[in-house]
Amino acid sequence: MFQFFSDALLRAADLALIAVALSAVYSLIRFPNVALVQYAVVGAFLAISLQSAGLGLVAAAALSTLAVGALAVLFNLAIFERLLKVESSIALIGSLALSMILSAVFLLVYGPTAYRLQLPVLAPIRLMGVRLTTWQLWTLGLSVVVLALFALLLLRTRLGAEMRAVATNAPLAAATGIETRRVTNIVVFLSGMMAAIGGITLALRGSVSIDMGTNLLLPVFAAAILGGLGNALSAIVGAIVIALAETVITNTNLGPLMGEAVWFLPASYAPVASFAILVLFLLFRPRGLFVSEVTRV
Amino acid sequence: MSDFLIHVASIACIYGMLALSLNLQMGFTGLVNFGLIALFGCGIYGAALAHVMGWPLIAGLAAALVMAGLLGLFFARLGRRLSSDYWGIATLSIAEVIRITVMNESWTGGAQGISGLTLLFGDLRPWDGLARLGLFALALFATYLLCEKLVRSRFGLAMKLMREEPQLARALGHDINGIRARVMLISAAIAAVAGVLYAHYLTFVGPDQLVSADTFLIWSMVIVGGIANNRGVVVGAVLMQFAMAFVPFAKDLLGLPTDFVAAARLILVGGGILLFLLLKPQGLLPERVGAGK
Amino acid sequence: MDNKLLSLAGVLALGALFHAVPAVAADEFTLGAIIPLSGASATTGEDQRRGIELAVKDVNAKGGVLGKPLKVIIEDSGGKPQTAIDAAKKLVSVDKVPLVIGEYSSGITIPLGQYLVQEGIPHINPASTSGLVRKIGATSHSMVGLDNVSTEFAARDVLGHGWKNVTILAMNNAFGQGVAEEFRKHFEAKGGKVLSTVMYTLGQPSYRRELQQIEAAKPDAYVFTAYGTEGALIMQEAFELGLQQEKPFYSILITMMNKDTPAEFKKGLIGMDVGYLGAGGESYRKDYEAAYKEGFLSAYGGYAHDAVEFAAAAINKAGSTDHAAVLKAIDELGKQGFDGATGEIKLDADRQRTSQPYLKFKVEGAKLVPYE
Repeated sequence: MFQFFSDALLRAADLALIAVALSAVYSLIRFPNVALVQYAVVGAFLAISLQSAGLGLVAAAALSTLAVGALAVLFNLAIFERLLKVESSIALIGSLALSMILSAVFLLVYGPTAYRLQLPVLAPIRLMGVRLTTWQLWTLGLSVVVLALFALLLLRTRLGAEMRAVATNAPLAAATGIETRRVTNIVVFLSGMMAAIGGITLALRGSVSIDMGTNLLLPVFAAAILGGLGNALSAIVGAIVIALAETVITNTNLGPLMGEAVWFLPASYAPVASFAILVLFLLFRPRGLFVSEVTRV
Repeated sequence: MSDFLIHVASIACIYGMLALSLNLQMGFTGLVNFGLIALFGCGIYGAALAHVMGWPLIAGLAAALVMAGLLGLFFARLGRRLSSDYWGIATLSIAEVIRITVMNESWTGGAQGISGLTLLFGDLRPWDGLARLGLFALALFATYLLCEKLVRSRFGLAMKLMREEPQLARALGHDINGIRARVMLISAAIAAVAGVLYAHYLTFVGPDQLVSADTFLIWSMVIVGGIANNRGVVVGAVLMQFAMAFVPFAKDLLGLPTDFVAAARLILVGGGILLFLLLKPQGLLPERVGAGK
Repeated sequence: MDNKLLSLAGVLALGALFHAVPAVAADEFTLGAIIPLSGASATTGEDQRRGIELAVKDVNAKGGVLGKPLKVIIEDSGGKPQTAIDAAKKLVSVDKVPLVIGEYSSGITIPLGQYLVQEGIPHINPASTSGLVRKIGATSHSMVGLDNVSTEFAARDVLGHGWKNVTILAMNNAFGQGVAEEFRKHFEAKGGKVLSTVMYTLGQPSYRRELQQIEAAKPDAYVFTAYGTEGALIMQEAFELGLQQEKPFYSILITMMNKDTPAEFKKGLIGMDVGYLGAGGESYRKDYEAAYKEGFLSAYGGYAHDAVEFAAAAINKAGSTDHAAVLKAIDELGKQGFDGATGEIKLDADRQRTSQPYLKFKVEGAKLVPYE
């Protein structure tokens, strides 16, 4: 039982950083940027490359995080600002196209094999029957700290207040003297950083390959939409719900139903869980868990 | 050489049909479908299941149409409650889930797929390639005529009105949900027919044919060719298909490593979409405004 | 108007480019190969490419094919049947190669082979082990024993260790599904029991879920098969979950994953693989390690190598590139036996490899050691 919750919690931490980043950007520029999951892969690959170039782990991770933040701003200025002038669904298609180009770059630079950070092997830990590794605890801690910092920024600082103002009513915010473009780009920068940290925490616990972005896409979107796109912090709740659902799907022994001793659904069905919840919500509460407004297309 | 050109042209016809199908949804009605490949998948798997069950080809076509129709209606039903980008993500997810399911279940042949389907006109060797190209070109032309007739009809005006001003369309008494369902049904049928033809050309069906990257290839054809211009998207399909087929030749010509091929194809699709969206959003052949009767 | 001109210009440019493609230089002899250099099986594809490269060097050192230096045109299948068939059409109708080698996964080799059979072109399958490969058709040959051969060896070996109840962990592709099904068949026919089978998707950042699933069945041993870096991650996570300390792990085709796995995560691991035996196997291993500064990436480079060597020998024997003559020479060579890196190659009446040498391996430190 404890193993179940620790599995779900770790999975939620995987998804939460990127889902929050996605939701935060959406709140300001009203389109879901698919390329964010690829930014996470860029962050992980960059950290691995920097580490193998001789940098320390912390320095490599920090440098990679900043670089991805900058990259996110660059793409936003060069591509998304221009596409958004047309329509949000055009920007969405643009972000899919950007994801493909990033995949091609990964393929050319890294090839198809999986890469890992060089980490010292630490003995596994057993806590009340739960099997954990030291790196899992570190990454969980890191995710919680980053999310807490982001929450503080959003709720307790002037920048956070400006962000919320722009998210609620951009023209009004602009009229009161808030530089909406600056605020947006700061948030885009932060979202790139959070995605990169999300990618690096995955790299700390396993391996990174060019498929990582595609594999993250559905669960991250499901978490963000479940929380209500644009409602940044509730994406954390979305991530927890999705992680629980995935863990139920993959950790439940369906043997008795199938007339065998042990029978599990293939773990690749995990995204199906996120999807099923997503579709149910889209059908009944299209704006997520926490919003009650009724919308019409 | 000529065999190879016939092959590329045959595949281009299939993609041309898919591009027309997407154009009906996305170009004329504003339905941002990122799960088009799943409708095509109903076509290829309809043909494959008929093969496994020992049914004739025509039964495979019927199965394909029924499955694609049901999926199209499900997409349309989801569209009632969702704005376009949410719907796009939902259709993408459904396509991925279908691919994952097909990959993991045994009745679909799993990851090994289903092989040994009958080759269309296989008896006509050595003229079978040309015969197939003729059939595919005919199917493409028929689809083109259907799409043209549709968008020039009163119904086509309603589609475009729904794309531009959904509120107004509703106020004028158009049944938005009905329009969406009908557009999805028609375009699902086109995709399913394309799938059946494709399956009986390649003679093999597998989950690798359902990857979302192929949906985006079709998107690139529509965007490059010209959103909401039927002639344009067919040109886009032919151009993109020939460009993709040309990549290995560029590799030989320039002596590039073979890894380059896969990356170059991704860049062609992604870069094609981005460049056209940024620099020439109306595509090669822009929509003819006011072309309705 | 300018738009129409633009698209016309585009079409013309493309056409011009097609025509600009030069035929391969007349002083070279060309064969075609289609392997997965991108997509999920790309590591194996790279190993196949290396095997082909070494074989070409070797053939040319011995005087080439029909008096000309050999060149193998390698095309990427992208791990997709459509791309593989596109590539085959290019090789056959543009490059005019007399023989095509390919691919890796059965799901692609089968349609590829069927296409080549339709065209009457000799085909050599260098890797796919699905039983369906046997039915491809009259011009298709296999350099590799199908999975019923390898899994029978593995099933006997596992039972020989006294492990009667096992779980299987295999990748969810045509190869993994074939191994899992065939292993279960042989293992249960010999009196063992497969408690559960778990298929995993390639390219994931973690396999803890799958490992917990196989653990739940409480087997005597875990039987698995994995490619390089995935195998390494699976072994590490099995170590972290404490699975390795409790029950033995048995790897089918162990050389695929041994190299990438650090020594501390594979203490006591045993398994089986194709033996690279005899003079051919030894010299292939030496050449490989000298050229690429590392051990084999997979078990399949050697087969791709042998496919090229075998094809070159058959065409030299036929004395021409005429399809019928080449097919006849392949038949004769297959009956008489050909010494390759993967041991002696003999083909049966269905043009499939009859037997191949397998070895039992155990891990000592970081290295694999064969034992009996």
